[in-house]
Amino acid sequence: MSKKEEVFKDGKRPDGRANDELRPMKMKVGILSNADGSSYLEWGGNKVICGVYGPREAIPKHSQDPKKSLVKVKYSMSTFASKEEHGRAGPSRRSNEISKVIKEALENMVFTEKYPRTQIDVFVDVLQAEGGTRVASITAAALALADAGIPMKDMCCGVAVGKAGDQIIVDLGKEEDNLGQSDMPLALSNRDKNILLLQMDGLLTLEEIEKAIELAEKASDKIHEMQKKAINSVYTEEPEEVFTM
Amino acid sequence: MRNIILPGEEISDQPMRLSNTYVENGKTYASVVGMLDEEGRYTPLESVYSPRPGDTVVGIVVDVRHHGFVIDVNLSSNATLPARDTRLRLEMGDLVFGKIGRIFPSGDIDLQDVRKLSGGKIFDVPTAKVPRIIGKKSSMLDMIRESTNTKIVVGNNGYIWISEQGNIPLVMKVIEYIVENAHKKGLTDKMSEFIKKHME
Amino acid sequence: MGDIKDLIMKEGRRNVLMNMLGKGERLDGRDFNEYRPISVQKGVADTAEGSAVAQIGNTKVLAAVKITSATPFPDRPEEGIFITSAEFLQLADPTFEGGPPREDAIELARVVDRGIRSAEIIDTGSFFIEEGKVLALFLDLYVLDNRGNLMDTAGLAAAAALKDTKIPKVEDGQLIMGEVDRDLNPPEIPVPTTFVKIGHYWVVDPLKDEENVADSRLTITTTSKHVCTMQKAQGVLAKEELLNNINISFNIGKDIRKYL
Repeated sequence: MSKKEEVFKDGKRPDGRANDELRPMKMKVGILSNADGSSYLEWGGNKVICGVYGPREAIPKHSQDPKKSLVKVKYSMSTFASKEEHGRAGPSRRSNEISKVIKEALENMVFTEKYPRTQIDVFVDVLQAEGGTRVASITAAALALADAGIPMKDMCCGVAVGKAGDQIIVDLGKEEDNLGQSDMPLALSNRDKNILLLQMDGLLTLEEIEKAIELAEKASDKIHEMQKKAINSVYTEEPEEVFTM
Repeated sequence: MRNIILPGEEISDQPMRLSNTYVENGKTYASVVGMLDEEGRYTPLESVYSPRPGDTVVGIVVDVRHHGFVIDVNLSSNATLPARDTRLRLEMGDLVFGKIGRIFPSGDIDLQDVRKLSGGKIFDVPTAKVPRIIGKKSSMLDMIRESTNTKIVVGNNGYIWISEQGNIPLVMKVIEYIVENAHKKGLTDKMSEFIKKHME
Repeated sequence: MGDIKDLIMKEGRRNVLMNMLGKGERLDGRDFNEYRPISVQKGVADTAEGSAVAQIGNTKVLAAVKITSATPFPDRPEEGIFITSAEFLQLADPTFEGGPPREDAIELARVVDRGIRSAEIIDTGSFFIEEGKVLALFLDLYVLDNRGNLMDTAGLAAAAALKDTKIPKVEDGQLIMGEVDRDLNPPEIPVPTTFVKIGHYWVVDPLKDEENVADSRLTITTTSKHVCTMQKAQGVLAKEELLNNINISFNIGKDIRKYL
């Protein structure tokens, strides 16, 4: 059996979703008491928690930029994040790279010049992973930054697009990610749909990339609506006392 | 129904000069989460404290230099009270309050109208919670002052000074309660219940 | 220069806390032997064999149990493996630093680990698969939010995660993930109770402010009948104080077990 047949049974995605359909999402902000801003995101089988601290004095002192604040991102994966094995604690080459590209996405959204010599720390912890953790992390981070009251040009969110079973699809699940033909994680600003994060592996034609980006743009509108709802609920609903995951 | 605005949403199709907004291509956009009322007025709901001239701050004298007093005001760098601007004789460890004077492009801050706070205690709270402790038009702070019979100075910088007289424990409890529950709705109502309960 | 500021802050807090304790009061209005509200939620991570979030006040710890097959330790070839570790997530507290676990995280993991081992609630003898192969149970503690008393919150999360744990099926020496053989079903629940002494007064379930100014700290972990581990941190304590606190911790343990 070829790979595409394994992923796409009877022309359908493994979980039966339409090509432009997102996995179910749940978002919440203000879940941590110490952090200046925080969020919790469930996206399919991903569970991500994010805390933002700052702007606070940048350390070490020699790293301070007299003109702007430094956005620092630390993405980590829990030891129990995947079903298969008990993972290692601490940063890996993979998590370091993801931290870097998330930082390079978010720093475009923040008015960093307002807070010279400071740093803004974004900690993202992936408690549970099922494909697409980096785009889930950006989506959660934008919520936590907004919750922290850090001035931003725009909201943003992440979503992966790609190709599996010869189809262009949005929000790849783990199986589609592992066995599909191409995976292209994106992060987009909400209003202008500027590309803030872009990675890609596998093979795509120019036309396919264009189509995939269009799918991502439509998906980002839906995700933004949910982000807005999550922030809205802070001011309109009685928050739950219990931490729920 | 309040209309909650997220960063990047349009507030006006005209350029406006408002805090926590920015102008792009002649339109004004929000830069922090805020509220837009029926008349189109925008009120920020979450914002990071950045010192502005005229803000009240509480501080601790951490150094006495020839050019003036170096005062910790809970910011990323210490503030200065220039010696030429004051007749106060301060020592290391003295507690003071005053206003933010000049802010230099480097981020250095001069204080003005500084007064010494005698006795009492100083505490820090997250700056994001300060607006909740003060309340609308100082309503929360006035309630705390009156019901606990205590002198309190709340700095926008997150330092709070409480006088030696008065019900310090109750003030502490109230502030602890606000800090723990600041993210919840209807805080002022809950607060008055809380104070009543603990006055007994 | 930061030092004088910290000193003044700490001294101020300490003074006020002592005055309050002298009048029988605590910062958040609790009695000396009263816990903040407790809640426990089991089964929070689908990828783990057992998991729970425990919350005491606003302090939150997540515990997750992963079970895999492993090579036994050479000196105990027929016995399973049980390892506890703790991560202080940086989002939990502005003072938590990155990098490998520091002594506080190591102490936390070891005290929770000792409580579970002493109470003999994980039957590692039943973890034998075949020669050179046993089950390994990893208990990982993740601090999500720190408002004081991480020790008791972690102990509670750990106990709840173990109660939630399902041991996977083993066939022909291979672990069949996703298929359950049996519940771990711990026969006892060790409950840590942490005390701090400020001036002359001992209080349970310390807030962060109380921890920061405490003269002594003591954790006593009990099962329904026995003390199963103890840990004195800073400070000194008299025999009478210890015995009295043990008594209190038995009563508190009884209450807290109801949440599991």
